[in-house]
Amino acid sequence: MMHNGSSQSEFGRREVIRSLFAGSMLMPGLLSELLASETPSVGETLGAGDPLAPKSGHFQAKAKRVIFVFSNGGVSHMDAFDYKPDLFKADGQKMGVGGGLSNQQRKLLKPLWDFKPGGKCGTLVSDLFPHLREKMDDICLIKSLNGNDNEHYNATLGMHTGSFFFSRPSIGSWVSYGLGTENQNLPSFIALAPQMPYAGTQIFNNDFLPAYHQGVRVIGGKEPIADLNRRSKQQGLQELELGFADVLNNKHLHERAKDSDLSARIRSFETAFRMQTDAPEAFDVNQENDKTLEMYGLKRGDNEGFGWQCLVARRLAERGVRFIELVDGSSSHNWDQHGDMAEHADHAKVIDKPLAGLLQDLKDRGMFEDTLVVWTTEFGRTPGVDGDKGRGHHSACFSSWLAGAGVKGGMSYGSTDEIGATVAENGVHVHDFHATILHLLGIDHTRLTYRSAGRDYRLTDVHGRVVQEILT
Amino acid sequence: MRDCFVRCAIAVAAASFVAGICREARAFDEPAFFRGLNLNGPPIVIDGNAWDGRDSTTYTCNDRPVENQNIVLLPATDAARASMIRSSVYGGNRVELSDVPAGMYTVFLYVWEDNNSENFSISVNGSKVLDHNSGATGRWDKLGPWPVKVKKNGKIVLTSQGGAANFSGIEVWRGDYDGLEKPISEEELAFFEKRIRPLLVNKCYECHSAESTELQGDLLVDSRSTLHRGGGKGPAVVPGDLDQSLLIEAVRYDNDEMQMPPDEKLSDAEISDLEHWIKIGAPDPRSTASKHLGKQIDIEAARQFWSLKPISNPTIPTVKDTAWPKSDIDRFVLAKMEERGFAPTADADKRTLIRRATFDLIGMPPTIDEVNSFLDDDSAEAFANVVDRLLSSPRYGERWGRHWLDVVRYADTAGDNSDYPIPQIHRYRDWVIEAFNRDLPYDEFVRDQLAGDLRGGDTEEQRIERLVATGYIANSRRFGSRVDDYPQHLTIEDTIDNLGRTFLGMTVSCARCHDHKFDPITNRDYYGLYGIFHSTRYPWPGIELDKKQRDFVPLVAPDKVAELEHAILARSKEQKRLDDQVNKLKKLVEQASEQDKPDAELKLKEAEELAKDHRKLPPLAETAYAVADAATVEDVSIQMKGDPMRPGDIVPRHFLTVLGGQEVPAEAETSGRKELAEWILADDNPLPARVMANRIWQHHFGRGIVPTPNDFGKQGKPATHLELLDYLATQFKSGGWSMKAMHRLMMLSRAYQQSSERDEKAIEQDPANEWLSGFSRRRLDAEAIRDTLLELGNSLDLSVAGAHPFPPSHSWEFTQHKPFKATYETQHRSVYLMTQRIQRHPFLAIFDGADPSTSTGNRMSTTTPLQALYLLNDPFVHDQSNRIAERIMAQASDDESRLRFAYQLLFARNPSVDEVDVANEFLSNARQLLDENQVEGERIDREAWQACVRSLCRLNEFVYVD
Repeated sequence: MMHNGSSQSEFGRREVIRSLFAGSMLMPGLLSELLASETPSVGETLGAGDPLAPKSGHFQAKAKRVIFVFSNGGVSHMDAFDYKPDLFKADGQKMGVGGGLSNQQRKLLKPLWDFKPGGKCGTLVSDLFPHLREKMDDICLIKSLNGNDNEHYNATLGMHTGSFFFSRPSIGSWVSYGLGTENQNLPSFIALAPQMPYAGTQIFNNDFLPAYHQGVRVIGGKEPIADLNRRSKQQGLQELELGFADVLNNKHLHERAKDSDLSARIRSFETAFRMQTDAPEAFDVNQENDKTLEMYGLKRGDNEGFGWQCLVARRLAERGVRFIELVDGSSSHNWDQHGDMAEHADHAKVIDKPLAGLLQDLKDRGMFEDTLVVWTTEFGRTPGVDGDKGRGHHSACFSSWLAGAGVKGGMSYGSTDEIGATVAENGVHVHDFHATILHLLGIDHTRLTYRSAGRDYRLTDVHGRVVQEILT
Repeated sequence: MRDCFVRCAIAVAAASFVAGICREARAFDEPAFFRGLNLNGPPIVIDGNAWDGRDSTTYTCNDRPVENQNIVLLPATDAARASMIRSSVYGGNRVELSDVPAGMYTVFLYVWEDNNSENFSISVNGSKVLDHNSGATGRWDKLGPWPVKVKKNGKIVLTSQGGAANFSGIEVWRGDYDGLEKPISEEELAFFEKRIRPLLVNKCYECHSAESTELQGDLLVDSRSTLHRGGGKGPAVVPGDLDQSLLIEAVRYDNDEMQMPPDEKLSDAEISDLEHWIKIGAPDPRSTASKHLGKQIDIEAARQFWSLKPISNPTIPTVKDTAWPKSDIDRFVLAKMEERGFAPTADADKRTLIRRATFDLIGMPPTIDEVNSFLDDDSAEAFANVVDRLLSSPRYGERWGRHWLDVVRYADTAGDNSDYPIPQIHRYRDWVIEAFNRDLPYDEFVRDQLAGDLRGGDTEEQRIERLVATGYIANSRRFGSRVDDYPQHLTIEDTIDNLGRTFLGMTVSCARCHDHKFDPITNRDYYGLYGIFHSTRYPWPGIELDKKQRDFVPLVAPDKVAELEHAILARSKEQKRLDDQVNKLKKLVEQASEQDKPDAELKLKEAEELAKDHRKLPPLAETAYAVADAATVEDVSIQMKGDPMRPGDIVPRHFLTVLGGQEVPAEAETSGRKELAEWILADDNPLPARVMANRIWQHHFGRGIVPTPNDFGKQGKPATHLELLDYLATQFKSGGWSMKAMHRLMMLSRAYQQSSERDEKAIEQDPANEWLSGFSRRRLDAEAIRDTLLELGNSLDLSVAGAHPFPPSHSWEFTQHKPFKATYETQHRSVYLMTQRIQRHPFLAIFDGADPSTSTGNRMSTTTPLQALYLLNDPFVHDQSNRIAERIMAQASDDESRLRFAYQLLFARNPSVDEVDVANEFLSNARQLLDENQVEGERIDREAWQACVRSLCRLNEFVYVD
């Protein structure tokens, strides 16, 4: 009825518009919704055709969403999750792979922390992670992860995109592309990255996938997402502006034959408008009670730090965000201890309690069943020394873990040799790791493809094996 | 010698035995010993061959000697070889063999470990061939074989990088030699000929020999060396080691993914024969390495594919509706429409048309005056005049240059792990813009970018421009952070990938690891092109572990180069002198008594200042990020599976076989880039004219005739109007490759001037508007949105943009931990925004800007809430809206006049009565709200108008072109 006839009948409705404007706090969504209900051709584009509409995977999914935690710099496996008694004994006595990037033969260096069993399963975890150790019954540890490159940049890129040299879409973008999102008022892929990781924005970039699947970077603090805060100080003015634009846009739309791009763009302003409210609300951890804040090691009023990232991750998960990445550290301040392994303790302290709190909180809220939590890093560290007391980069084997939806807790998978230098059995390559994560989301990694520049691309390139042994 | 005779005799017999089943491996010249060199010992005889000693004049090496004849070698070897091995050279590790006549050679290097194990890599003629661990004390290795092609009076240079390597001896053979020669007993030979060879011939050769139609798994089992080298998965045979021999794994059917022969498992007896053979050391007389020449392209058949067929000179079709067409383009377009039951839509009105044409050609809106004068011009040439005016605007090159920069993935940084800035590359950007503005013919445009440095120039200015144009090649992506094993093969891949897509619409780099799966491009073709770029010197932009620029091209006259080099040397000596002085004074400060210390410190401080200031001196000459021919120009080996450490056959530098396969002349002393440009542009190559005509069409019509502009291969989409494309390509070439002529041709067609309102049937049946029954409405790209806001806000800076404000190069300390990262605000057009290779510019990333790391043939046009958030809240949008509001308010004092001006400015039209009403309603509500919010006086009016403009700038009508 409205705006779809000749200009005369259209502005027979002038009174209606006037009355809409009269309520000066006009919500733009309201008008658009009114119009949408009157004109099904617009409505159609909001459903099936929406690139972010929720989609089902190739088969029944265990996980509805992912919280992907990435620790920058290369966390030492033999100091944290991969107990190597022989390495303690061999300290300074024997030679093994060591040095910086290029892996020479160096004296072996013993781990600095004792290992103790955690949970009923008794998985050994070092004193670096006392809180996580208590959660080992919920965690599936992978000790035989391996990658292709010993440089931070390339290994970080590989862990996120499956490609160690070339820019490719990030795993979060692939998941968004494959599954869409459940909450249209928030982005489908959010990266809580207060500082830049290695390889910069590439690690949450959509690359050749459409921009809907771009990871939206959240930095914390006063304006966690760029341009999220209203620029105009005048209360209510933006609503008026949007209402005005909405009337003109709809007039423009209805003067033209069906064009779903135009109507999608009208709708994008409504989403953005709601994001201004919904996103800060999601980031506002002060709405949580004291007990919850304590679980994450937060004090009331905190709006940044790793505990904040973890708690926001849970809040975003609750709101249906599909893929949430947490970046721990940055390219310049991180776990890269070439000089002194003792500094690992400082970094572990930052993430240990919040991560354990996140797992517990998800369980308490019944979200552990359909949320997959992933913790990983770009590579491990060498058993041989680098510098005086440090360790070098080591991609031949390292540890990571999965927890939650569809994953067997209380187990360890794969093993390394007696000093943690090579995979001894059941190696899990980065491609396998990705294939497994996608599998848990109901996606067959060989079938999630996108045609770009004459080729069908996949997250796992031409590789990848789902590690069935760790699935429930 | 006797062995050899017996072997040959039996081999001949065996050959006749298998005759009729399969021909023998393709015959190549028998390899022959050429030279042995005992690097730290006397002349010596090894394996019956006379080696030169350390005093030989056929080589140079400045390394230090080391010898220890008491160490027990592992494995043990004969006395002569052992003494050669245990006396070696180390430190620096560079051996240059001279007086090597032109030809093909195979090189081996003996190394050993006299104490602690070391990791090092070996390079032959500058290309890394191996990473090696020297092992425990006493271990020795004969490394190789490495094929080398030597040009006249050539040299072979062996170097090592990394840990300390002990070079003991070098062995060079003519031809392709596997180095696996060892005596075979008559009994072993008989076993091989009777049991093994027939087995291999009958069961394996079909897919794994030089004669195979299509070689499987890159594995050749028809010669000893290829069997040992193995295929894609690794060595097929490791003598004496059943577990490591993939051949055994395959025939046993142990591995589900590799069961050979695939049709039927061998008999137990046959498997046990193979096992026995490998256990006794796999004796094998087939010494001549076989070669598979790769996929043989049936050129006749391949060129039947539509894009490879010659450009036809199509007849202009006849159409039913003879009244509609204004041009031949229209006849082609209408004929297709009529075939499918579509009809053209109405002509666009003049306001729509000028807005469309202006955005198309210069990426900005028409001014109010421009619109009015077009409306006033009733002549038949009115629109042609608009097109000509726009084509002569300098803004045209900025718009269309940007389209080109998309395709060549232009960036201002290198793309290595630290993303080093390249302050000089803007010259290439500016050259592209200028080339469009002066309508440089496309063929010259291609030649300059591929080989401008080799072309010289009629004037010094032209010579310099052409040098700068090779920034196209220099602009290839850099990788990693390391120097000694810098992955040049990836940079060259990036070059080949881009030139294939850009000039040919072909995905050539798909053939890097294997023959192209879909298109007629072979692995050999890829390395034929690779050799050309291997023979090209790329500038070094700096990288984490080697931060200084080098090999940039100085922009000075040729006769001034020597002088410049002299000055550079002098300056570097002076720097060293100043640095030495600082070091000397530092020591003095340390040693000085308390009394003398203040004075010494003062002197040190002065010296440090001098050294620092000297380091900051401006460069002695302006330089360009451009290429030159390398010091050595040569053909290269195929890299098996794309791995540079697994060299295969050396292939001549040549063009794609399917497009002619021309080779760089043997006597050429240059890289072959100049030839490459001519091969690309050859009259019988249909691709460049089609590809470029399609790109121009695509930007005018919103969709290419071939919708995949970078892929005219089988994976791309076929042309919707092939005859039209050929017509355009023909016009393009016959018009002297003028791009501006192509714009005129396309824009003056009636097809271009249609309205964007299509009838419902057409929309339903042809949603993508493939058949052009109307103009395709489209969103402005990122640059046009930003430029329009700047232009309307009177903020646009049209002065020369020049270089970016990068920090000075002497201060560069970028690493992957702290990579270069910056966003430079500018009021220049968006084509001048500093664009990083690996960090997206925030604005361009939100609005679907080009991907700076790979060729963008088509921009996407997505609609996201982040774009809306940007337009809602970004300070840039607010600032420009405020400035536009100022303009509008200055124009008139009443709302209605202001609104009319605003609509003319933003939308090139007048508002309707209804729109005026709605706007008045808005303004009135806004004023009321501002008043309630305690805003006072004239600020109420101003802020209401600012809000009004912000709303208008968010409208679909603002960012869409009809």
